[in-house]
Amino acid sequence: MSPNDVKNRLTELRDDFDRSFAEPARQHDAEYAELLAIRAGGRPYALRLAQASGVHSDRPVTPLPGPQAALLGVAGFSGAIVPVYDLAALLGHPAPERPRWLVVAAGAPPLALAFHDLDGHVRVPTSTIVDEASGNAGRDVLRGMVPLPGGIRPIVDLLSARAVVHQLTGHTTYNTEER
Amino acid sequence: MSQDPLRYFRVEARELVDQISAGVLDLDQQPGPDLVARLLRFAHTLKGAARVVRQQEIADRAHAFEEVLVPHRSGGEPLPADEMRELLRLNDEIEERVAALEPQRPKPDPPPRFPPGMTPGGASPSPGLRAPGDRGPEPGRAAERGVEAGTEAGGGPPAGGAVPGNGRHDSGTRTGSARQHRDESSRPSGQQDGGELRTEHQPAEGPAPRIDGGRTVAGRPEADRSTPATGRPRDSNGPGSEPAATPPVPVDKPDHRDREAGNDPGHAKSEEAAKTPSHPDAAPAARGSTADVDELLDAVGEAHARFAPLRTGGHALDQLTRSAEALADQLRVGRTAAHTDAARVVAARLAADLGALGRRITDTVEQVERELDEVRGRAERLRLVSASSIFTGLHRAVRDAADAQGKRVRFEGRGGELRLDPQVLALANNALLHVVRNSVAHGIEPDRDRLAAGKPVEGRVIVEVERRGRYVAFRCTDDGRGFDLAAVRRTAEARGLLMRGGTPPDEQTLVELVLRGGISTSPTVTEVAGRGIGLDVARDVADQLGGDVSVRTEAGRGAVVELVLPLALMSMHGLILEAAGTVATVPLDSVRTCVRLLPEQAAAAAVTGKMAHDGEAVPFLPLARALYAGTTVPDGGGPTVAVIVGTEERAVAVGVDRLAGTSTLVVRPLPDLAPAASVIGGVSMDLDGNPRLVLDAQGLIAETYRLGGGGAAPAEPARRLPILVVDDSLTTRMLERSILESAGYEVDLAASGEEGLDMARSRQYGLYLTDIDMPGIDGFTFVAETRADPELSGVPAILVSSRASAEDRQRGVAVGASAYVVKGEFNQEELLAHIRRLVPA
Repeated sequence: MSPNDVKNRLTELRDDFDRSFAEPARQHDAEYAELLAIRAGGRPYALRLAQASGVHSDRPVTPLPGPQAALLGVAGFSGAIVPVYDLAALLGHPAPERPRWLVVAAGAPPLALAFHDLDGHVRVPTSTIVDEASGNAGRDVLRGMVPLPGGIRPIVDLLSARAVVHQLTGHTTYNTEER
Repeated sequence: MSQDPLRYFRVEARELVDQISAGVLDLDQQPGPDLVARLLRFAHTLKGAARVVRQQEIADRAHAFEEVLVPHRSGGEPLPADEMRELLRLNDEIEERVAALEPQRPKPDPPPRFPPGMTPGGASPSPGLRAPGDRGPEPGRAAERGVEAGTEAGGGPPAGGAVPGNGRHDSGTRTGSARQHRDESSRPSGQQDGGELRTEHQPAEGPAPRIDGGRTVAGRPEADRSTPATGRPRDSNGPGSEPAATPPVPVDKPDHRDREAGNDPGHAKSEEAAKTPSHPDAAPAARGSTADVDELLDAVGEAHARFAPLRTGGHALDQLTRSAEALADQLRVGRTAAHTDAARVVAARLAADLGALGRRITDTVEQVERELDEVRGRAERLRLVSASSIFTGLHRAVRDAADAQGKRVRFEGRGGELRLDPQVLALANNALLHVVRNSVAHGIEPDRDRLAAGKPVEGRVIVEVERRGRYVAFRCTDDGRGFDLAAVRRTAEARGLLMRGGTPPDEQTLVELVLRGGISTSPTVTEVAGRGIGLDVARDVADQLGGDVSVRTEAGRGAVVELVLPLALMSMHGLILEAAGTVATVPLDSVRTCVRLLPEQAAAAAVTGKMAHDGEAVPFLPLARALYAGTTVPDGGGPTVAVIVGTEERAVAVGVDRLAGTSTLVVRPLPDLAPAASVIGGVSMDLDGNPRLVLDAQGLIAETYRLGGGGAAPAEPARRLPILVVDDSLTTRMLERSILESAGYEVDLAASGEEGLDMARSRQYGLYLTDIDMPGIDGFTFVAETRADPELSGVPAILVSSRASAEDRQRGVAVGASAYVVKGEFNQEELLAHIRRLVPA
């Protein structure tokens, strides 16, 4: 590396550094999406972290006898009692194994979805996400897809999942305009 | 606060005023020298304390109070009416002045409205739910209060027992303070808003997932709890919120309905009273009684004592360590047979000692856990208020209304020991005040009418509080003249609410009109306001909380107004049961007895669905069957105990594996989005913060009758296998799912033939319902493949297609489909008929 190269590189780095202060920080968030790469019932999916208010593992779930097969039971979160639904069952492919991960969906009333495995947390440019205005050809809980290492994953839309649960339970106060 | 010279006086004065208020009303009904003596002691103590802190106005009134009472020290005769009035007046003035010493408080939240059918609170109690007349809490004072009440004030009030406090000054403080503490302590320190990842500071939490460069993904406990549950920001959490959030409001406004009440002297009086702190519309106290605090302290002490073996366990461990070291030494030096024998002896002893210590530790931990459970239950109980706390205010309202109208009315409160959410109680109190006033004003007849009707001159107004499953009922009964339904009808006709000359409306229609308000049954508008005014307050409260109001009236005999409200929180004693690995609690007050079952008795009960108890055949339900309805019951020991659960009319025997003691617990309603079988009455939290099921006695009885009706139960619980729907069209899948689910089937969905085959192999289904035209494997192939698989061939398959040709139908039959339904002629009933035929219930 010649001294000139070093000098150029140095200038470049300095400019980058200065520019990082000059640019408005909010563009950062707009351009990237935080996703969780998960597996439910053995299949890969992704979900948007912005739609979740928490992710928990191995939380005891008290089974609740009742009419909803997808309702695994209720779990306690800091004094609140939260219904836990099996994500794989909502997606239409329930698996016999009990899921060990819970994602608490943002919004009210409290709702958590259970999935089997967490593959990781990724931050992807929003431009790589294939958006869909309405549900894709598969299930109405899914909205869009994202290419990740290992393949393209459908994105579980927690708002839609919430809407499905509201529909299943006859909960009427859900504002569909949120979707 | 420590510089505040009135700090302790406030606490003492409040206690004394509560006792005086209740005592004066008791004196009105049951005069006697003991009560006079007690009231004199209270007044005297108050006078002395007030002088010490230079509250001359209070001291003077306490003195005047004494002066009235002194002549009645020895006699048992009732006080003259004017003296009684004077006592009440002084009582009010003292109360007003004591209340004025309180620091100003922020205005409470208006009560949120809940849609009908929704219970308030949801997953967490709604701390902001308050009565309109409630003047709110004293932020930051509650904890201090608790300490004061437990220590300093202990020497203050003289003997005389704890009169249930009516303390209308501090509704919700304890609740608020408890929440505030919990909120504060569990709030993660570095929390921030926005889309950032959060760290959860919870030791009990499972390992937080560490992913992507060591960043931690976790939850926001405060969001889990407060925001989604109530939809309100933290600041509105009410009692515990920062006082700065809302400006203080010195006094509350009287209920506008009171003003509408017009010229009724009773109402006028109470309206005037409403401007003073003593007015009875104020909410009941959320103050725990001394006895509750004592019980909590006892439980804490007990839990503490249970730790003793763990402390001594340390020494035992030291000894064992030394023994082990000695053994190691012996083994190092020992070569002879004698040495080996000695070492063996030492080793055996060491093993025995270790085993004993282990058992002791296990026992101790179990006991400590039980005690802590009790501590938790009692502490939660302190958040609730006994129903009796509203009785003093109601009694006073009855007395004032009676006095204003020159009637004699006896008030009685029943069921006061029930402990309820202070917010529910405050709202009920507000409605009941109107209801009891109306009972006196419109129900109870004047003396001469009562005599003429052969009734005792003294009228009766009874308020009963009673728990009914997830509801609480407040019932106000009077022995007056009943509703003047003819007058209601005339008024309604005059206002065009009913057709004049039409078919006579039935009683219920007329009562409904009264409940809607605006119709007075009073003969003269100037004298009294109509009954409707009180009832529409009750109606409002019921609507607000998703409850109900009902009225029963009998001309000349009296009326019963019943307000039923859902409970967000409720304290109860429960019997802890275990069945097939699940722990559940049944309300102790619904348990009649428990009977040990011999194995052969248990087997017989399970087969016949009934067992003999007290010379009767009682329907029998193994609890595991109710808890695992529709799924396989995991292996357990089987029932060894029958818990006889019953109401007044019916009883059933519930078979459980084990009884695990009793516990004080707070029951919460099931969250929204968690529909449950009727056997589940609610949820409580165990020591680890995990939900535990609370059974509903009514539901258990209903389920027992539904499952067996006392007849033989199937050896294996009846369970219907799920149905697999295979269709590439989302619309069809959803349509079929909704049809099947509303018919009570469990449904799984597959979007392609391939997926369908995968799913068919991974789970046992009762039926396949498949489309024909799908990309990849089509419906014919799907059916053929499943027929070819020996494991799946027994599961019937129905083809659903838009193809209607005979050829296709034949092909369907050929591949082995059990039925063929054409989409164009899609008929829900036809489809269900096929399914019912193929999947027997």
